[in-house]
Amino acid sequence: MGYLLLALAVGLLVAAVVLLRFVRRRNGEPDGNPSGPAEEPPPPPQRTPADPATSLSAGFARAPDAKTVARTLLDEVLALLGVEFAAVALISEDGKEATGLVARNDGEDVAWWPSVRIDLENEPSAIASASFEAAPMTIFDVESSPRVNRRLADRVGAKSAAFVPIVSGARVLGVLVAASTHRRRSFPPDEMARLEALAGETALAFEKTRSAERLQEALGRERLVAEIGRRVRSEHDVEAVLRVAVEEVGKATDVARCFIRLGEPGTPMPIRAEWDAPGVQPIGVAAPNLPVANLAVRKRRTVAAGDVANDPELEDPTLGRVETLLRLGTRAVLATPIQIFDQVIGVFGLHRLQPTEWNQSEISLAEAVAREVGLALHTAELLEENRRRLDRQAALVQAAQVMTSELQVETVLQRLVVEVTKLLEADAADCYLLDARRGVLRCAAVYGLPAELIEFEFPADRALAGEAMRRRQAVVSGDYAGEVDGPHAAYEGFTAAIVAPMIWWGDVRGVIGVGTGDPDRRFSAEDVEVLEAFASLGSVALRNVASIEQSSRQLRIQRGFFRIASVLAQPLSLDETLDAVAQAASEALGGSFAAVLMPADGGLRLAGSHELPGAVAELLAEGLGGAESLRDAALRKRVLASPNVEEDGRFGNDWQRLAGEEGFRSLVAVPVEAPRREQTGIGLVFFAEEQAFSDDEIELSHHLAAAARGALERAELFEAERRNRAIAQQLARTGTLLASELDPDTILEEIVAQAPGLVGADAATVSLLEGDELVVSAAHGEGAEAAIGSRVSAVGELAGEVVQSRGPLAVGDARTDGLVSGSDALLEAGYAAYLGAPLVGPEGGVHGVLAVYARGPRSWREEEVEALAALAGNVSAFLSNAELYQRVVLERERSMAILGNVADGIVAVDRDGCVVLWNAAAEEITDVAAAEAMGRSPADVLQRSLEPDETSAEGRGLIQIRRGEEEEVWLSVSEAVMRDPAGAVAGRIYAFRDVSSDRLVEQLKSGFVSTVSHELRAPLTSIYGFAETLLREDVAFGDEERRTFLGYIASEAQRLTGIVDALLSVARLEAGDLQVQFAPTDLREVVSDVVESAERELGNGRSFVVEIPEEPLDASADREKVRQVLANLVDNAVKFSPQGGTVTVAARRTHDAVQVRVVDQGSGVPQSEQERIFRKFYRAETTSSAAGGTGLGLFIARGLASAMGGRVWVDSDVGRGGCFVFELPMAVSDAQERRVGK
Amino acid sequence: MTIDGGSRTRVLVVDDEAPIRLLCRVNLEAENMVVLEAADGLAGLETARAERPDVILLDVMMPGMDGWQVAESLVDDEATSHIPLIFLTARAELRDRAKGLELGGIDYITKPFNPVELAKVVEKLLDRVRRGERDELRREKIAELRTLLVE
Repeated sequence: MGYLLLALAVGLLVAAVVLLRFVRRRNGEPDGNPSGPAEEPPPPPQRTPADPATSLSAGFARAPDAKTVARTLLDEVLALLGVEFAAVALISEDGKEATGLVARNDGEDVAWWPSVRIDLENEPSAIASASFEAAPMTIFDVESSPRVNRRLADRVGAKSAAFVPIVSGARVLGVLVAASTHRRRSFPPDEMARLEALAGETALAFEKTRSAERLQEALGRERLVAEIGRRVRSEHDVEAVLRVAVEEVGKATDVARCFIRLGEPGTPMPIRAEWDAPGVQPIGVAAPNLPVANLAVRKRRTVAAGDVANDPELEDPTLGRVETLLRLGTRAVLATPIQIFDQVIGVFGLHRLQPTEWNQSEISLAEAVAREVGLALHTAELLEENRRRLDRQAALVQAAQVMTSELQVETVLQRLVVEVTKLLEADAADCYLLDARRGVLRCAAVYGLPAELIEFEFPADRALAGEAMRRRQAVVSGDYAGEVDGPHAAYEGFTAAIVAPMIWWGDVRGVIGVGTGDPDRRFSAEDVEVLEAFASLGSVALRNVASIEQSSRQLRIQRGFFRIASVLAQPLSLDETLDAVAQAASEALGGSFAAVLMPADGGLRLAGSHELPGAVAELLAEGLGGAESLRDAALRKRVLASPNVEEDGRFGNDWQRLAGEEGFRSLVAVPVEAPRREQTGIGLVFFAEEQAFSDDEIELSHHLAAAARGALERAELFEAERRNRAIAQQLARTGTLLASELDPDTILEEIVAQAPGLVGADAATVSLLEGDELVVSAAHGEGAEAAIGSRVSAVGELAGEVVQSRGPLAVGDARTDGLVSGSDALLEAGYAAYLGAPLVGPEGGVHGVLAVYARGPRSWREEEVEALAALAGNVSAFLSNAELYQRVVLERERSMAILGNVADGIVAVDRDGCVVLWNAAAEEITDVAAAEAMGRSPADVLQRSLEPDETSAEGRGLIQIRRGEEEEVWLSVSEAVMRDPAGAVAGRIYAFRDVSSDRLVEQLKSGFVSTVSHELRAPLTSIYGFAETLLREDVAFGDEERRTFLGYIASEAQRLTGIVDALLSVARLEAGDLQVQFAPTDLREVVSDVVESAERELGNGRSFVVEIPEEPLDASADREKVRQVLANLVDNAVKFSPQGGTVTVAARRTHDAVQVRVVDQGSGVPQSEQERIFRKFYRAETTSSAAGGTGLGLFIARGLASAMGGRVWVDSDVGRGGCFVFELPMAVSDAQERRVGK
Repeated sequence: MTIDGGSRTRVLVVDDEAPIRLLCRVNLEAENMVVLEAADGLAGLETARAERPDVILLDVMMPGMDGWQVAESLVDDEATSHIPLIFLTARAELRDRAKGLELGGIDYITKPFNPVELAKVVEKLLDRVRRGERDELRREKIAELRTLLVE
């Protein structure tokens, strides 16, 4: 119903407004709606050339606040209308009240205007009308108008007035008032339109300044809150937090007091911090009676009391009395609760001495600060609590350290009570231990209580302690004196106490208690926890104490462990380790002596001992002496304990006797495992006294077994490593030895000599595969050599198996292995153990077996098998090397033989050019011994390199070397380059032969052809030439001339004949077809004849001396041929004589021959030429080629001389002139004719 | 001293063989040439320097200084280098002929030769030399020889 009425009222109101506007338009009145100008533009400005709205806007833009805006507006209005008074009143948000903002009169602010308040609902006023209707209005006669507020109108002295609402959106912010005080006047529509326009501008400016102010205000508040928050949070001390909060807020706001009370709701909540403005009285003890704050706490909300004197809310007397506030001079109070997680813990309050409505900003500030304080307090509280916890934990840790480091129970408990008293800030503490048997608690430690209390006892079911023990948890008494019947007078005067039971392994062993005489001290749950923690520490201490009894035994056990550990830490041999295990076992278990037995020879044998008496050692050396239970224990890896051996049925008579003799009563048997060998032996510890073996000792024995196992494994590894190293070294030594050996037989000998040492065997053989059989090729060891040459099948047993499997074969005891007889010579000869490995060749084929033998049965360790296999592998490689080497050596020898025996000189040089081969032919050709040439370069040896100077058509090079001192030798050389597999030059081979004679013949032949050609052509030229000349018809020659010409023709023809004869002689000499007519020939005649002829024909400025004896010099010769020889010699002498020289021809008889010497004064014949000159075609170098001659003269001379049984030679030296000697045998009586042949 | 100048051609014959020198003299003089003679290389060289003949007929195989050496000396000597050289020799091999031409000879006449034709040959050669064709002549001879050598 109410809604309907309201709707109706609104409807009517709207209708009325519409109607009103309609009427105004009709009357030409301006439309009050600010949106009017949009439909109907306002008339142009009347007074100012510039647009006043524009200048106004500029003024507003600079205005920092509403007052300035209003002033700007008012000055404009005064100027525009020419009235005396103008003012702005603000309308409250709810529209119920108007307050004066600014008024201007004669350029001054009107002082009273700001205090104007108009109740718009109840007081009649034009401002109210303008506000309600949101439309301007004018009143021509103010003094008589009922619509104005009389009070204001009179005070202004207005005659006529205009009221224009300042409208922003749907809200009227204020009303502009313009009044004429001198006279009545009307406000024409254009003025009103102007005013409305100005009001519109002003509304905008107000909105702007208002939002700016709010923003400023909000920012300021936030800043303040932030600053307070920052400072509050930076403090972790609660008091500081509170102080900061009240001081900051107090200073920042316009208040007289600012305070914080803390406490739970319903408690007095004392003041914890307070700030008072100067001169303001503090609240003091009156705090609990502050009604506003109490109200805020109760209502859990902010209470803003503008005037406490008139606030019905505060009338509840349970809140406190308003008079309290008034007595403090307080009129306005703002209080807001301080909460942490919805729990009120205090209140934050502000006091003012004047009644003041608290604005929203102030309320927000207070609430924000209260929140901050709440958070800060919470944080501080948490920190504080944390610190306390840390302290307690530290104390507990400290106490725990004491407990665990002390073994004296009294000391421990004493420390415990001291620490707990301090920690819980109690007055005293005590500790009682339960004597369960007697059912009493006996005091063990006290603090803060008389010392005589120690040892005091009381029944275990009494007092707080009794309850704690019953409930098996800590109990607290807040009223000790009232609730508890103290067990001792010393406990009188205690007001509160906690007692906690000390529980260990489910049993309560005692109690620990703390007490206080301070009535204000209340023990919290946390305190209980602390005490319980101390109680458990106490039980630990008690447990430790209990275990002290066992400490000596433990010490012994520990020593045992240490002993074992120290054994473990040393790299001991296996034997040493077994001894050490015995010692460790004996010491650890507190025995008198100990032994360790390990499997050997099919049983357990003594392997290590400690302090073992001889008789016992004797028994154990042969085994366990019939104590099968011990063997069984070893096999099952169990500990066996016999407290009294003599009475123990598990041991035989030997043992029982020995126990009596050697004085041991008990023994413990511990299994001793050698894990790598997969053997289990037994350790025996003997005790002089009868032992009741505890579980601990049995357990220790097990530990001992485990430790021994570790030690043995370690020792085994150590031994294996040492053995491997020894084998590796031996292998390396053998390898080095054999790698340098290149004779296969020697290698086999070495191998069989080395192999036994490698694996600790007694003999060795190498069998090589020959067809289907293995033949023992080398053997070493006692009686082994007899096996050499024996054969076994390559597919049979043992060696055959090795060949077939291509892997090693180990036989520990051939006697038990059921081998077929004849499978191995050495095994038949009595060796027991066999280990064989295949000799595998480079191509992977097996070509033999390396075998080692041991006299007695033995097992072959893996590393030994591997070592032999490795050696066998090496043997194969060594053998291959050796065979290869043998082949190479053979090849080399063959090559050397070939090279040495070829006719050609062969010289090989290495890559550095040094001679590595110089064969016999080379020695002969060069006349340099191989020994001299080796290692030097050919160039060094021969004074020239073997690189050819020229190359013949067949690709052979020709070089000339000097042989000996003078001889020049021509060599035909061919060269081959040797390359290594990589293609690099590895050396060169030169093959050469002596071609000196071939070359000489070649040269001579060539010279002969040209010489003969010349020698024939010269006479022919004369003959032909003179003949042609004589035939000339154009020239008439005289007789003399003609005779000369013909003479030349004749002599030249004769010369030609001589040459032809000589050639013929040579041909005959060479063909062996020379006819010699032997006859006694007087050489004197021939000499004279020849010289005469020579003087005639050849003289040419040389003189001849002939020396012949008186008596005839008869030689047996062919006269014509002798003449020919002499003619040649003389001709030769003439040819080599200088101009004017003398040629001497002397004939004489010697012992059995006749001699003719032809001596010239030429340069003589050098030694080197003296044979050569007799060669065919030879022509002396010393003569010019132009000297003529066929080079046949001396050849023919010697040939003829020999044909006659004589000879021709040179007896001459360089510089002495030439001397040719022609010797013939003396004539024999009988002339004879014989045929001379080659 | 040329034919053009009215003078007779002067020929120096260097040969150790007296019959050859005589042969040349008789036949060259018959053609109105003046013949100078030298019996060995040294004499030939001296005569050439002293007499500056128009042409020299030079034997090769002579005792002492042979024809090759004489030729080299003549060519090396400014006073004689211009004198045309004709080898007249029994060395008939092609390589000797080549050597002669290389040493500066303008021709190479091998023994035996027809002495009646000698003057004509000499005259013909000198004609070309006088025409300034000495080098060309030698090139022709060398080319000719080369053809022979290749064959």
